[in-house]
Amino acid sequence: MEEKKAKILVVDDEPDMVKMLKTMLENASYEVVAAYEGEEGIKKAKEEKPDVIVLDLMMPVMDGFEACKEMKNDPELAGIPVLVLTAISQHFAHTRYAKSLGLELESEDYIDKPVDPNLLLKRIATLLGK
Amino acid sequence: MAIFFLIVVLVSGAISTTVGIHLINNHIIQRAQNQVRHDLASAWMVYDEELNDVKDIVQVTSERFFLKNALITGEQSIARRELERVRKTYDLDILTLTDKKGLVIARTRNPYNVGDDQSNDDLVSRALKREIVAATQIVPVEQLKLEGDGLAEKAYCVLRSTPRTKPTLKKYQTSGMMLKSAVPIEDDNKNLLGTLYGGALLNRNYEIVDRIKNVVYKGEQYEGKDIGTATIFQWDVRISTNVTGLNGNRAIETRVSEEVYDEVLENGKSWIDRAFVVNDWYITSYEPIKDVNDKIIGILYVGILEQPYLYMKKNVMWSMIKYLIVAVVVAMTITFFLGRAITKPILNLVRATDQISRGHFPSEVKITSKDEIGRLSESFNSMSRRLKQTLDEKDIVNQSLKGLNTRYLELLGFVTHELMQPLGVLKGYLIMMRDVGSVIALKPGQQKQAVSTMLRNVDVLINMSQTYLQLSKIESGELEIDRQKVNVYKDIIVPVMKDEKPQSTMRNISFEVENEEEFKELEVWADPIMLRIVYNNLVTNAIKYGRKGGKISLGFKNEGDFYQFNVKNEGEGIPQDKLETIFEKFVRLEGKSGRKHRGTGLGLFNTREIIKKHHGQLWAESVEGEWVNFIFTLPKGQPTYVAESK
Repeated sequence: MEEKKAKILVVDDEPDMVKMLKTMLENASYEVVAAYEGEEGIKKAKEEKPDVIVLDLMMPVMDGFEACKEMKNDPELAGIPVLVLTAISQHFAHTRYAKSLGLELESEDYIDKPVDPNLLLKRIATLLGK
Repeated sequence: MAIFFLIVVLVSGAISTTVGIHLINNHIIQRAQNQVRHDLASAWMVYDEELNDVKDIVQVTSERFFLKNALITGEQSIARRELERVRKTYDLDILTLTDKKGLVIARTRNPYNVGDDQSNDDLVSRALKREIVAATQIVPVEQLKLEGDGLAEKAYCVLRSTPRTKPTLKKYQTSGMMLKSAVPIEDDNKNLLGTLYGGALLNRNYEIVDRIKNVVYKGEQYEGKDIGTATIFQWDVRISTNVTGLNGNRAIETRVSEEVYDEVLENGKSWIDRAFVVNDWYITSYEPIKDVNDKIIGILYVGILEQPYLYMKKNVMWSMIKYLIVAVVVAMTITFFLGRAITKPILNLVRATDQISRGHFPSEVKITSKDEIGRLSESFNSMSRRLKQTLDEKDIVNQSLKGLNTRYLELLGFVTHELMQPLGVLKGYLIMMRDVGSVIALKPGQQKQAVSTMLRNVDVLINMSQTYLQLSKIESGELEIDRQKVNVYKDIIVPVMKDEKPQSTMRNISFEVENEEEFKELEVWADPIMLRIVYNNLVTNAIKYGRKGGKISLGFKNEGDFYQFNVKNEGEGIPQDKLETIFEKFVRLEGKSGRKHRGTGLGLFNTREIIKKHHGQLWAESVEGEWVNFIFTLPKGQPTYVAESK
């Protein structure tokens, strides 16, 4: 009896990144849906009701910060754990992005880019409570 | 500053006072000396008049009959009685008759003392030679005794010491000084019968000096003292004077001061100056009295009390000083106000300078005059303006440097992010390839697609590196253009569109090439690699910022000596005031939601530099909310300097 696959929403503006993550997560037996912008991500989250959202911070139009905020403010989505992907390393902690990261980020967890696939899988598993 | 003016005023006041006092002094002393010189001349007139009186009496008496008769007959009693009457009438001290040999025949005061020889007397001897003479004469005490009782006593004086006299061993003086005259007596045939001589003793005889005082000074007094005084000295001893001593008595028996002694008695000169006479300072004049042989025997003196002159001097000086004080006060007042008029603007300047030194820029210093101070204030104001301007400019430069610095830091963030993106993709696939047997291991069917994705991302990295390399070349001026004949459509646009296909497809953006048939034939002289960068940048931007589902048009136009190319996309557009700033380094526009777009921050800067190297221009046009159009020009034909640059 096969367990129902957990559904993961990947939101990233880079198609190749989405493609890579999708391949990886599907291989790890997750169902993956993709969105390429913040707004699209919110829309997809409502439609697909994913179990975990993997959200890139740096996106055009609506970025990860805002998307994350909106999701957490939306009662319908607030319960879905968000894992934030960020390329903002500690070395640039004084930039405005790093500051807003510290101040505004309301996600459940974050992971540095470039993504270590095994670490990503572990984090997702944790968020899914496995 | 004002203090200096005050000092100048005070110093000139002091100089004026000194000069004034000196002038007044000189003037008043001069006046007093002239006065006393004149007075002495008057005194001599009085003195000579007295001498003449003696002579006249003796002469007139000598003409009288009874004398001739007595001389002829030898009967002298009548003559003696007559002579005594004359002597008393005219107040003479002696009147004596001699015979033609000079032997005394009749003596008025001492009638029984006759028969002595007077032919050796200076005056009688001349009378015996038929000369009429009158002169001042020193009479020894023996002669005085001979001539009559009381004369020697009248002449006798004990010398009293007063300050400033010449030291002497003499304790007293016994001789007397006389105005004396001697005349010959002749008969009708001019035969000499005898002589008559008479005289008035000057010792203790105050008639002359008092007459001088009354005639010359009219008895004027100052604080109870006679202003004018006169004195007759027998040698250096006062024998007749109206100078009074401390006790109020006439100061006879006192002596002349040493300096006058030397000058008048020894050198025979007249002496006019301040002199200390007995007890007071006088403006004085002394001249020698000479006997019949021109020998100095005494002094005639007149003097004016100095005190009135001092008083006058004091008065004049005080009134001068009063005027000077008034003048100085007025000058100081004027100086004070003038000084304030000068110092006030200077103080303003000082205050303003002080403020500037503390970093506050005051409003301009008020200019109240057109003089040097006014000009100084003007210069100060313009200096202050310029200084403020410079500081403001510095602030602006600092601000922009700060901004630049921030942008560089942001750039680093972007670079990192942009690198992480493709690297993340690569790393992910590589781990999936490495970890064969794990859950994430790539399945055989996924291999090909994974590798081509990885390759594309490697290209992205290479592209980025090239962009930054271009910047460093542009910045260091090393960017070189290698111009060749290029078919823009075939060699540039088609490959770029192919490269960007995945991105455009993802955003559902379509390309449209305007007048495609003509475009396909178009050839320009350009560096194909550089031109590809230009198109790559513009198209990437158009996709990135273009409206989802929108259209990107690529076109060209013939514009005189240039071809004009454009890349237009539909979308938010760019505000008019930002159309130029987007070409600066590390400037990215914020989107509608206020978020920054990704990029190198160099795309448009580099692009414009490349076009400039081609001697073309690049600019942007936009209607906000509708479209953005990037337009650039390239010159037609082969540039003549291509060969050189090769």
